[in-house]
This record gives sequence, C-alpha cells and structure tokens, in this order.
Amino acid sequence: MNIKNLIRLALFIVSFLPLTVFAADVQPISHPSIGDVQLSKLELRRIFSKRVTNWPNGQPIVVFVLESSHPLHQRFSKETLTIFPYQLDRIWQKITYSGIGTAPIVVKDYATLLKQVASTPGAIGYGENIEQKGGLHVIKITD
Amino acid sequence: MLSKLLIKKCSVLQSSLIALLLSASGSVNAKDIQELQIHGFVAQGIIEASDSDFVNDDGDLSSALTELGVNFSYQLFDNVRLAGQAVYIDGGNRYADGARVDYALLDWTAYQTLESKLNIYLGRHKNYHWLYSSTRDIPHTRPTIVLPQSIYFDGFRDIAVGGDGIALSYKHNSGVGDIDINLSYGTSDISDKQTEIILSEFATGEMTHDTDYQASVYWQPIDSQWRFGIVGLDSEFGYDQSENDTFYDAKIVLQRFMLNALFEGERWEFSTEVNQERFALDGFYAPSAHLDRKGQGIYMQMRYRLNEQVRLLARQEFFYADKDDRGGDNLASSFGLPKYFGYQHDTTIGASVDLASNLRLQAEFHWYQGTARLTPVVAPNPGINNSEYWQMWALQLMYWF
Repeated sequence: MNIKNLIRLALFIVSFLPLTVFAADVQPISHPSIGDVQLSKLELRRIFSKRVTNWPNGQPIVVFVLESSHPLHQRFSKETLTIFPYQLDRIWQKITYSGIGTAPIVVKDYATLLKQVASTPGAIGYGENIEQKGGLHVIKITD
Repeated sequence: MLSKLLIKKCSVLQSSLIALLLSASGSVNAKDIQELQIHGFVAQGIIEASDSDFVNDDGDLSSALTELGVNFSYQLFDNVRLAGQAVYIDGGNRYADGARVDYALLDWTAYQTLESKLNIYLGRHKNYHWLYSSTRDIPHTRPTIVLPQSIYFDGFRDIAVGGDGIALSYKHNSGVGDIDINLSYGTSDISDKQTEIILSEFATGEMTHDTDYQASVYWQPIDSQWRFGIVGLDSEFGYDQSENDTFYDAKIVLQRFMLNALFEGERWEFSTEVNQERFALDGFYAPSAHLDRKGQGIYMQMRYRLNEQVRLLARQEFFYADKDDRGGDNLASSFGLPKYFGYQHDTTIGASVDLASNLRLQAEFHWYQGTARLTPVVAPNPGINNSEYWQMWALQLMYWF
C-alpha cells in the first residue's frame, strides 16, 4: 500500500470518528419513585413494547415517548431497544385499537418528556446527557 | 350519484371527527392521560370489483369503503381496566354495514412479574389469534385494504372478528424468547344480513353461533426478527328454518388449523399464514344432506419500505375450497356450479404513502382467479359471478388519532 492509499484510508476512518466518539448513548430514565432499578436491554424492550406494564414493586409503568419520527426516539429504539420504530408503532397501534391494553403517551417535545417523567410516579422515558440528580433517575443498563 | 354519496359520507365523517376531537381535547394532565385514553380513526375510499358481487351486484365503482371508530381505555385500578370501541363500517356486499360495539371489556391483570403476565378479558373481545384479526377493521393497521380472503374471508367477518365471552392472554418472557399464549371463548349474534351472506337471501330462518373456542401460541426467539404462530379454532353454528323456508334446519361446524410467520427487517418484511379449514354441514339443503370438506389456503406477502413515508407490497394467495377437489370437478358434477367456484387465487400489488404522521393514502390492485370466497357461501351465485377471472382495485384515505 503506497502513501496516498494510506492517507485515503486514514481519512476514510477519521470521517466516521465524530459519529462514534461524540454520539452520546440515549439513556433510559425514570421517576425516582421506582428506586434504583437496573434493567437489561431486553427488559427495556419488553417495557416499551408493553409486554411488561408494572414495576417489580407492583407500581404501574407509565411510558412516555417522543413522536416516532423524532431523532432521539429513533436512536433509542434502534440502539437501546434494538427494535425498529415502525415495529413499536405497530405494536402500540394493535394494542390501542383492539382493546388489549394502552399505548405509551406521546409527548410533543423533549422538554415535556423530561418534565413528565420527573413528575409522574412510575414513569419511564429516555434522554441524553442526563445527570443523576433531582427528579430523574438514570436507569443503568445491565448488558 | 357517486359524488353525492361521497359528499354525504364526508360530511358525516367530518361532523363525527369534530365531535371526537372535541371530546379528546382540552386541558388534561399526565395523570388524566394515563387513566383515560381516547383514540379513533376515520377512513373513506373507493373500490371497484368488476365481474363479481364482491362489493356490489353491478360491479360499478363504489364508495362502500367507509370505516370509522372511537375507543376509550380507563384504568379503574392498578390491575383493572375498562375499554370499549364503537365502529361504523360499510363494505358493500362484503359484510353487514352499520354501527356496532366492536369491543367492550374488562381487562384484569391477574398476575405479573418482569418474566410473565396473565390478563383476563371479560366481555366483548376481539379475535386476538391471527396476524391481523384483532384490527381487521382499522385501516392504518392493515397491510392492504382488502385482506387475504383465504384467511380473512369477509363473508365470515362478523363471526370471526371477536365474541362475547372470555379471553386469556399469557405472556412469558424467557431465555428462549417471548412466548404468547392466547385462549378465548365467545360467540356472536348473527344478523339477518350475515345470515344472508353466509347462507343465501332465501334463507329466512335464524342462524345462531353456538360455540367458539380458539387458541394460539406465538414465539419470537431472542433477538430474532422472526415471529412464529400456531392457531386452532373450533366453532359450531345452527340454523332454524322459518315457516315457508326454502331451506331446512342445519348444523354447521367450522374448524381451523393455522400456522403463520412474520419477519420484520429494517426495509423488508415478510408474512405468511397457512390455513386448513374444515367446513361440515348437516341439513340445510335437505334434512339428510351432509357435506364435509377441508379447504386450504396460503398467502405470502412481501413489503418494502422505500423510505419513511412510502411502502410497497406484493402478495400471492392460493385458496381451495376442498383440498380433495382442487379443480372444482366434484363441485361441478354434484352441484352444477362452474368449476372455478372450487378455488380463488389472488395476486396483489399495493402501495401506501404517509401524507402526515396520522394520515395515509393506500391503494391496491388485485387479480383474482376463481370465486370460492365470494358470497353467499353455502348457496353461491353463479349468475352474477359468471367469470373465472376478475379484478378489483381500491383506494382509501385514512386518518387516526
């Protein structure tokens, strides 16, 4: 491999760095009332797809999400839950229109999402760059 | 004539929608939202099925493609919820039109951990067993406007859509994946129109839905994009002849054994359902008449997401009313019907475009060969359905909230 090709290869690799180095993980967050709960990605997926609707202490889980097309929702769905957003939409629509359960509450923007999770007992949602303080608890992902 | 019909229907839809939106609006807090949820949908389309009585008797363009509904869910206690949905549907000849209570149930979460959950539904419940059965009237949840008739036969819609009784849903989340077990028992009142659709306009007696047991098991392996299902159905119907009836008392048994698979990738989706259906009839044509046959059907469906808004679809379906008479020869010799009443195959292409997050335009074209899934079922109409090959297309605009 000559120098030119090495430089091209280096530039090619560098071009991906901002995505991998600076893109923060989307964090699952909850209302402090549920305590220090740790969940696996699989358990989180089961909560957001409404297979599990109560916390281990019996408290109902109130799921807050952003619109399906919101970039943060897309990232959380694909990267953390490992499910495509359209699959979640379908699950929720099936639940909503067949009487079998209730879908998550869709909020209009990110600030509302944080506010609702912080103020609703049993709530779960997601955010980024959230500090573990005040009204929000960052759920640690166990795998 | 058509435009008048459309305007009339749009006007009804509009006023209904305003009423619905008003009821859903206003200042509400998170606690209210989690306790009481209201959702709904409105859809209107046009449909034309030439050379068949699938939609209407003359085969002309029709606006009989209306579906609207509103539902609520109210969390009574942590583990008890009430839910109901009212719908109005009009599909022409496909099923009985009109308003009805789609479901009205009490949902009791009897047991729950992070690993498993048991729900018991009491009241009028939907059919939760097939891939699209629980939302077959909800336009934006369907892959196509008209579902594969081998499985989702519109002629059986009212008796397959759900029932009054009890349903159980057990979800188990284990190391081998997510497992769902569903059981239900529930019968439906059969309207005069439904009797006409299944039997004939000359059947003036009363049809009853006597028993209906259904079970299904679904399995999604861990981290798999595939989901597999197995379904069983056992139901019985009765017919009490009226005075001066052309037909006689009858007992009808309808049983199904089905398998299905679903793959959901980022762009590609695949789904298939296979059905073997036993249809046994004693009486009706004559007091001693006996008919017992097993039909078979299968469809394979591919969907491709072109982008966030546009989806394309292609589907092939095969249906044989009697697996031992796939060509319809016995049907022709025994009943004098054209052979093509013994099967019905469907090639479908379709597309949908999301015009907004809650607004979709869907269109499709079907090429059919055979008429085995046209109505009436028990006394077919070869006078109108006099063509082995027929086509159907439909276009529907749907909004939901």
